[in-house]
Amino acid sequence: MISRQQRQQEQREWFMQVLDQDDLLIKDNTHWLRQYRKDARQAVNSLPLLNRKQEAWRYDHIEKLFENNFVQPDESTGGFTNVELYDNLLPPLTSYRLVFINGYYAVSLSNLEELHDGITVCSIGDAIHLMPEKLAYSFIYGHKLHKDKFSALNDAMFNDGVFINIDQGVHLDHPVEIVYLNTNHATSEDDRENLIQTRNIIFLHEGSSVQVIENFVSDQSENNKYFHSNVTEIYLDEGSKLEHYRFQDESRQAYHLSMLYVTQKKNSHYHSASLALGGAWARTEYKVNFEEEQSECDLYGLYAVGDEQLIDFHLDVQHRQPLCRSREQFKGILYGKGTAVFDGRILVDKHAQKSDAVLTNDNLLLVNDAEVNTKPQLEIYADDVKCSHGTTVGRLDKEHLFYLRSRGIAESEARKMLCQGFAEDIMMNIRNEELRLYMVDSLTRTLNAHNVSSGDNYGH
Amino acid sequence: MSSAPKTSQPTVDDLVSSGYQHGFVTSIESDTFPPGLNEDVIRLISARKNEPEWVLDWRLKAYRRWLTLEDPQWAQAKHPDIDFQAISYYSAPKKREGPKSLDEVDPELLHAYEKLGIPLEEQKALAGVAVDAVFDSISVATTFKEKLAEAGVIFCSMSEAIQKHPELVQKYLGSVVSYADNFYACLNAAVFTDGTFVYIPEGVRCPMELSTYFRINEAKTGQFERTLIIAEAGSYVSYLEGCTAPMRDENQLHAAVVELIAMDDAFIKYSTVQNWYPGNEQGKGGIYNFVTKRGACRGKRSHISWTQVETGSAITWKYPSCILQGDDSVGEFYSVAVTRGRQQADTGTKMLHIGRNTRSTIVSKGISAGYGQNTYRGLVRMSKRAEGGRNHTQCDSLLLGDKCAANTFPYIEVMNPDAEVEHEATTSKISEDQLFYCRQRGLSEEDAVSMIVNGFCKEVFNELPMEFAVEAQKLLNLTLEGAVG
Repeated sequence: MISRQQRQQEQREWFMQVLDQDDLLIKDNTHWLRQYRKDARQAVNSLPLLNRKQEAWRYDHIEKLFENNFVQPDESTGGFTNVELYDNLLPPLTSYRLVFINGYYAVSLSNLEELHDGITVCSIGDAIHLMPEKLAYSFIYGHKLHKDKFSALNDAMFNDGVFINIDQGVHLDHPVEIVYLNTNHATSEDDRENLIQTRNIIFLHEGSSVQVIENFVSDQSENNKYFHSNVTEIYLDEGSKLEHYRFQDESRQAYHLSMLYVTQKKNSHYHSASLALGGAWARTEYKVNFEEEQSECDLYGLYAVGDEQLIDFHLDVQHRQPLCRSREQFKGILYGKGTAVFDGRILVDKHAQKSDAVLTNDNLLLVNDAEVNTKPQLEIYADDVKCSHGTTVGRLDKEHLFYLRSRGIAESEARKMLCQGFAEDIMMNIRNEELRLYMVDSLTRTLNAHNVSSGDNYGH
Repeated sequence: MSSAPKTSQPTVDDLVSSGYQHGFVTSIESDTFPPGLNEDVIRLISARKNEPEWVLDWRLKAYRRWLTLEDPQWAQAKHPDIDFQAISYYSAPKKREGPKSLDEVDPELLHAYEKLGIPLEEQKALAGVAVDAVFDSISVATTFKEKLAEAGVIFCSMSEAIQKHPELVQKYLGSVVSYADNFYACLNAAVFTDGTFVYIPEGVRCPMELSTYFRINEAKTGQFERTLIIAEAGSYVSYLEGCTAPMRDENQLHAAVVELIAMDDAFIKYSTVQNWYPGNEQGKGGIYNFVTKRGACRGKRSHISWTQVETGSAITWKYPSCILQGDDSVGEFYSVAVTRGRQQADTGTKMLHIGRNTRSTIVSKGISAGYGQNTYRGLVRMSKRAEGGRNHTQCDSLLLGDKCAANTFPYIEVMNPDAEVEHEATTSKISEDQLFYCRQRGLSEEDAVSMIVNGFCKEVFNELPMEFAVEAQKLLNLTLEGAVG
């Protein structure tokens, strides 16, 4: 048994070890971003260590992460070609595409042609050189993300990311697709544990709209173990609209941490749907802040958890202004001996009269030894509000199964149908037909590969 | 709270804030320890109560453990740090000769109960309720004892039980809430002065509802009650607990522990109406109610039901819980919590499903008015073994006014696919439509609100024994007086 002190020491050393590595993005010592990173570095050092007594980490077995010595990889495309990538790993989409391999921007695999005026989509690395003012503005305008250890660490060390800036009133015709391909074939030694930190800034000016797709994929080789930490900052100015879809299918050995910070101005609309399938440990945090009234936010998510996996969603939606509306719906299918964690918080500030919020979390347990920890929270300080939350945890309904079987449908087929039906609620919120079909397909493939539909897995 | 003599008519504000009706101090000479806590004080308490060696050992173990613990900070409640050395840990009304009947009880005490509207004489005849009145820390009057004895039921104070039934107490004390359980339970184990002990033998249906009225009386005396109820196989008992306390300016700490044990097919129904002094409108004074209540459904098909109506206390911090060990056992929790003024309530339950086919129901109604803070915090855990476990949780919050708060923090942990857990929660205010409907039928706004609020709480009130339900409704109306509009 490792003592608590040892664990804490291990964690302290882990953060120091990461901070000791080279800054891959900024070589210039006098660069303004360098100062920003210094502050972040200090924050990493001064913020308290994580432990399970902290509410935010109550159910996460984070200790394992700190047992690994993650090292930033070298730049390489790993020999991936367009054909390989497009045939096997990506949805058939018409999109503006940015591909990152192990956190490095791969120009040759990306496609950013024909972007018209008023639209900036590029890597952060390019933005630093091409439009330093615009980027600097976002950083200065933005949150200081130095409030928790991992986002501060990301601030201090991110190697690249995407910068999207849509001018007033501009609507993008095709989605922007960000592909993160994580592979250890790209590195010199096969068993290296990569540390990948990416950082995105999405800035929508007044009345603009865009669809953004984030796609986390990896080659599913045996020992593709890495830690990917991804921070996305989103600013939605008055009347703008962002549709944001996320597909996470990391390697089964990978650690994945996504943190999304959304700031919304008057009348803006954030619509998001997530599908999480992969990772040994995968956590996504949404922090949404309504800064002005009448804004709207929809968060949808589906997670499928198999053996030895922990998938976690943390939501923190802050109604700070009146007349805002939010919908949070998350569903989980547990088909293996894994753990799902859901922590949803809706805060309604005392000024936020006429807030309307609904939070639901439903979980389907298909096997023994799976575990669900769910915690939907309401914190309400205003009286004229409509807020509710609901949670369920259960297995497939025997009556539903019977209904289908009595109509001549095989047990395995019936189970599959019920799972798909369960997922449908979330999937129908993906308003991009090609992507939706691709995501439904991926889910079905994952469930099929793990025998979800074959007979009774309950073992009794 | 110094009040200059008033010559003028009471203002509307005075009437609106209506004040705490049960606030008065009974002056009875007390045998009170000087403030402070150390091993000697504990030895002294133990010696004063003439306790056997093992009780003292247990107290000291708890005290040593307590020294290593820190005051919990996780609750959604704010209060100044408590100086545990400024509290007197023992206070007993001075004994004349032990009273055998009501006639011998200190008339001032009886008068105090009368002011509260619970005269013992009436209680005796009325509704067959036996009252074990706890006045501060020592029981002074116990009624209906003989009738209970006939049925084989033991209903006495904890000190008496330690003297007369040491084997039972030793077997069960601390078996549900261990001395090391949490900060306040630990403190309680070290310094508990008295409490209630109930033992229902096998197959006995307790012939009457058992009831205890707690009062905190002596200034600066934290009250550390310890209640232990054991229901043997096939027995039934309904226990009522009601609380009122005199008005007082300093914050008083109340850290009670309640342990329930239900064997095969036993049913324990535990009802609480809590109306301790909530502090004044500025939040000064009032009781800190930090209670650990837990029931163990040890036997098959055993059943524990908690019902609580919480309208008092500056801070309420309690989570009556059920450990559902026996197969097919049932746990229930029904709660109404009202906070107004500067009151803070952080309350809820834990339902730990361990046995097969265990079921639990949670119904929690929170009402916040003024600057009140109302939090539901609950845990439902389905362990690996809990096949066929079922839970339904419903938490509704009603907000009256725009300065109060209602929070819901449910924790749900499921480790068995065959278990089903449902949780739903809503937060809303009384709608204009509802009010309008009542008003157009000639009800005043206040009556309309009171009617709607009572309807909101009906599900819980229905679970209370009849006399209690009436009292609870009255209390609710009284509490909400002036809070609406």
